[in-house]
Amino acid sequence: MSEKLPLGLALDLRNVTPYKTGSWRTQKPLNIMQTPPCTHGCPARNDIRGFLRTLAVSKDYEEAWHILTRTNPFPATCGRVCPHPCEEGCNRRDFDTPLDINSAERSIGDFGIENRLEHKKLITSERKEKVAIVGSGPAGLSCAFHLAKKGYKVKIFEAEGTPGGMMRWGIPAYRLPKDVLGREIESILKLGIELECNVKVGINIPMDQLIREYNAVFLGLGAQKGSSLSIPGDDARNVFTGVEFLKAVHSGDKIDIGREVVVVGGGNTAMDCARVAKRLGGNVSIVYRRTRVEMPAITAEIDEALEERIMFRYNTNPVKIVTDENRVIGILCVQMVLKEADASGRGRPVPIPGSESVIPADTVIIAAGQSVDYEGIDIHKRDNKWIEVNSQRMTSMDRVFAGGDAVLGLETVSAAIGQGMHAAYAIEDSIKKQTQNHLASPPVVYSKDLNTYYYQAANRFNKESVPVHIRLKSFEEIYPPFDRKDIITEAGRCLSCGLCFQCNNCLMYCPDNAVKISPSTGMYEFDYDFCKGCGLCARECPCHYIKMTLER
Amino acid sequence: MLKQIEGSQAVADVVALCRPNVIAAYPITPQTHIVEDLAEIVSEGRLKAEFVNVESEFAAASVVLGASAAGARTYTATTSQGMLLMNEVIYCIAGMRLPIVLTCANRAIAAPLNIWNDHQDSMSVRDAGWIQLHAEDNQEAADLHIQAYKIAEQLSLPVMVCMDGFILTHAYEPVDIPDQKQVDDFLPPFKPTHIVDPRWPRGLGLYADPRFYMEAKYIQHRALEKSEETIKQVSADFRRAFNRDSGGLFKTYKLKDADVVVVSMGSIVGSIKDLIDRFEAEGKKVGLLQICSFRPFPREQIYETLKDKTNIVVLEKSISLGRGGILASDIRWTFPKGEKIKRRISSFIAGLGGRNISLDDLRYMVEKVEREPVELEFLGLRQEIIQEKDL
Amino acid sequence: MIENLDTIEKKDLFASGHRACGGCGQALAARMVADASGENTIACVATGCLEVFSSPYPDPSWRIPFLHSLFENAAAVAAGVEVAYKALNKGPVNIIAQGGDGSTSDIGFQCLSGMFERGHNVLYVCYDNEAYMNTGVQRSGSTPLGTRTTTTPGGKKRLKKNIPLLAADHGIPYVATATVDDYRDLQRKVKTALSIEGPKYLHILAPCPLGWGHAGDLTVQICRLAKQTCIFPVFEIREGKIISVQKVPVKKPVEEYLKLQGRFRNLFKKGTPTTDVAAIQKIADGNIERFNL
Repeated sequence: MSEKLPLGLALDLRNVTPYKTGSWRTQKPLNIMQTPPCTHGCPARNDIRGFLRTLAVSKDYEEAWHILTRTNPFPATCGRVCPHPCEEGCNRRDFDTPLDINSAERSIGDFGIENRLEHKKLITSERKEKVAIVGSGPAGLSCAFHLAKKGYKVKIFEAEGTPGGMMRWGIPAYRLPKDVLGREIESILKLGIELECNVKVGINIPMDQLIREYNAVFLGLGAQKGSSLSIPGDDARNVFTGVEFLKAVHSGDKIDIGREVVVVGGGNTAMDCARVAKRLGGNVSIVYRRTRVEMPAITAEIDEALEERIMFRYNTNPVKIVTDENRVIGILCVQMVLKEADASGRGRPVPIPGSESVIPADTVIIAAGQSVDYEGIDIHKRDNKWIEVNSQRMTSMDRVFAGGDAVLGLETVSAAIGQGMHAAYAIEDSIKKQTQNHLASPPVVYSKDLNTYYYQAANRFNKESVPVHIRLKSFEEIYPPFDRKDIITEAGRCLSCGLCFQCNNCLMYCPDNAVKISPSTGMYEFDYDFCKGCGLCARECPCHYIKMTLER
Repeated sequence: MLKQIEGSQAVADVVALCRPNVIAAYPITPQTHIVEDLAEIVSEGRLKAEFVNVESEFAAASVVLGASAAGARTYTATTSQGMLLMNEVIYCIAGMRLPIVLTCANRAIAAPLNIWNDHQDSMSVRDAGWIQLHAEDNQEAADLHIQAYKIAEQLSLPVMVCMDGFILTHAYEPVDIPDQKQVDDFLPPFKPTHIVDPRWPRGLGLYADPRFYMEAKYIQHRALEKSEETIKQVSADFRRAFNRDSGGLFKTYKLKDADVVVVSMGSIVGSIKDLIDRFEAEGKKVGLLQICSFRPFPREQIYETLKDKTNIVVLEKSISLGRGGILASDIRWTFPKGEKIKRRISSFIAGLGGRNISLDDLRYMVEKVEREPVELEFLGLRQEIIQEKDL
Repeated sequence: MIENLDTIEKKDLFASGHRACGGCGQALAARMVADASGENTIACVATGCLEVFSSPYPDPSWRIPFLHSLFENAAAVAAGVEVAYKALNKGPVNIIAQGGDGSTSDIGFQCLSGMFERGHNVLYVCYDNEAYMNTGVQRSGSTPLGTRTTTTPGGKKRLKKNIPLLAADHGIPYVATATVDDYRDLQRKVKTALSIEGPKYLHILAPCPLGWGHAGDLTVQICRLAKQTCIFPVFEIREGKIISVQKVPVKKPVEEYLKLQGRFRNLFKKGTPTTDVAAIQKIADGNIERFNL
């Protein structure tokens, strides 16, 4: 083929140097990974998008478990007890229904237990520093977990005979089976964490000794002292605080609760007490001085309690325990009416004179608050109740850190886990004498930023609970194990907010072919030599992974 | 083989011998017989070609453009209105240097509508970049087509063979139609230089902005200038192969001692030669310069031939309205201004719209220029039908 | 004979470096068509936006051979290429004639019609941006009712010429319409067309951000709205019968489509639709009935 081509009119297309149209643009697309609202709302900052997408795409439960346990060593536990703030924020809520992240977490956790998956350390070498953890509740175990992964020598001092804290003593078995908890704790300890039980720091070992012998100390004391209402008769037989009651039951003690049981309080502990009492055969009612709306308990707990036919007496406040031969036979209560909001933001309950009545009761459980057992530990508190910590999670004692219920007030297991994780980072910073911003995270992507045209509507995973009458016969879990295929289907509904999921839209919709697949990473990247900045990629990206920014 | 056939038939037969792959056909008087004859040749299987009955001359030119760009040897024919309709494509073909051969059966242009012969149609595209060859008679018309393919494919320039409509196309004359082997020997298979083919991806017909357009046109112009060589060469090769004179840049007749030289193109030269012979018998010395290649205009060679001639009269069937004779313009331009020789170049416009040019008209013209130079005159104008109010 | 009908093709046979405006629907469509057709293709391109932005010397953006001649003869030139390949016994090769709506429905209609009638094995693709965009937004026969262009500043008073149906009435074996937002459908239609012998016609709605008066990033969304408001029905016709229609389960009112485009702002006086909008809605309703959307 002759190469004599007339100028300007015929051209060999194999030797063309394309004109770089990138010089035209005034804005350019950037791939910016953003935080989805689920992770943003999770106290432990779990990579929820990560494990859901792993399940959806590669159906790899093991990989999902490793992603989840990077931040949370208690997936099976949290999958049962967490109130899932992630689901509240899930962007899919504005499209059809939010993802059932909680069930996915539980399914992953159970897989980990069944297959005896092991946590991986982050570094192979051992560090010489030692950290003491006081309390083996979720905060303490979480802190220990993260420090052990980083190679530190960790020892936990637990006052009770078995580890777990409120997870063991507070949460009933029908919510969290003890073998599930036990196996997860075992997994954590396998990282080389030392555990000594029956040692109460402050009593059996003084704090000074720990401070001397260890590079840092973490206090995960929890708030395990039940508060009393200081009403007459509360020292009678069969009057318990909530914590007391639960601990007794969960230690295997036999309690004769009689027939009528009255639980005072509106928090999770009250719900747990009521439902445990119900399973022990009692006729249970809950007395609360405000209404359901103001109850601090998790919604699911209240709903399940109602399902289990526990009676809720709202706007009712105890005045005195009625006793007979120092054993409770009833509780005198007065009706309340809510006036203007008090410090907690809720209406101030005011008794209605003349509305007193006696509720018969064989057992009264007062679950109206908990406080920290500071015996032997002298430390600054805020509001005279909770441990005061600075922004580095350090208490008034140098190199002593704290987290969990003891710091936050009554909160959730997940919050405690998150606290433990952040304390571990703070401890590492303190040991290494560095300051790192662990909380830095990309901006959050909300549903208004998404282009939902490309997602298909699909029904939410429906978890079926055991019928109420069967539930009440035992302390078995009320939700049987989930079908892994169903969970994978549910995970497939994840919109992957803020992270590319290879939908090919940017690749196909760029009129200038300026989106290329990187041969090394397999992710999409922009060819800025040719990108004209039209913005089609950003607009058609379903998960808002592309942001147009002004060109300098 | 010598045959007594219509001019159109001769052209059709010879074109078929050139083995075109694609023929685009649209009928228009007086070219219609050419495409009809080709249709029959193809349908009888004497030529294997794709015969495309297009919906207009514009489409005809476009189809051959596409076919040529794809590497086929192509052919189409048109005239008058059709030539004007395909004007855009004519320029495009030339700019794209596609070696297309086209027969222009010269005919007058509307308005007013007229189907008879003059040269206005081919003149209207003289600037487009095509080689334009004018045939004197049917034999030359046929022969020029064979030469045209050779010239076109050698130079990558399109060639238009002009033959007078009706006068040549519809006249029955003896024409020697060569045999296939002779033509095959003379005209090798087409080897295209630039085509669209997925095996060698190329772009044809790009968009050239001010940085490049002028150079493209310069190159085209130079190519046309240089094509004079090839036109001469191919005519000489033809002579050797077919044993007759045909084509070339121009021919002369009894020019050597002529006092008056007539310059002209097309079939009228036959009549002029007749007249020259009669003048010779009367003792008058008149000569003829018969131009075959109108484009490229062989200025230098015409100058060499005519430099000693002082009385030149240009007879043409075309006019640039508002200016004057087109061929006359080109001839006048051939001679530089300020020459020492006092030269008289006269311009006569004749035969527009098929008006007959008689020997008496020609005699009148020669005798007039013997007496005085004529700036511009319409030969044989019927003054009697022109009214005062028309002027 | 068709392979991989549902595979999405991305080969960049229409490469980067072309001078189209950012967000150009036609550039997008041209690439999708070229990729679907593959390397064994010859593109015969008419003058217009596509040709001007894709074929400047010395850096055209075509990577398949292309042939550009004039504004109105893409169909005839493609026919010429087709007969040449037949005569020279070369091929098979995909021959795709491409032009804008002006080139197809107005000035080039003669060549289009002739090519159809003669039955050439050529796919003709019309990129419909509903005006003479390359010369600066003048109305064409394909401009819809009510559109503001530089030559119809008060809004076009005449209806849009229905070229796909005119093409179908020529008796050609395959006619289809498509939009650039559904690339799977578009490429499938290109491949289907190329597997059929004879003349084929594909009419693609290609929004022009500049001419339609919308931001460059809305091109895909506007195509979607054109379908969802039933203004642009997407269908296939084989041998004169409608064989497939993209149904519209949730039909949106035409305002949603019109409001996004500056070229229709005449239709809204201070945000309220004028009677022309009702006329356009009537056209959309007509489409719903005719194509059973």
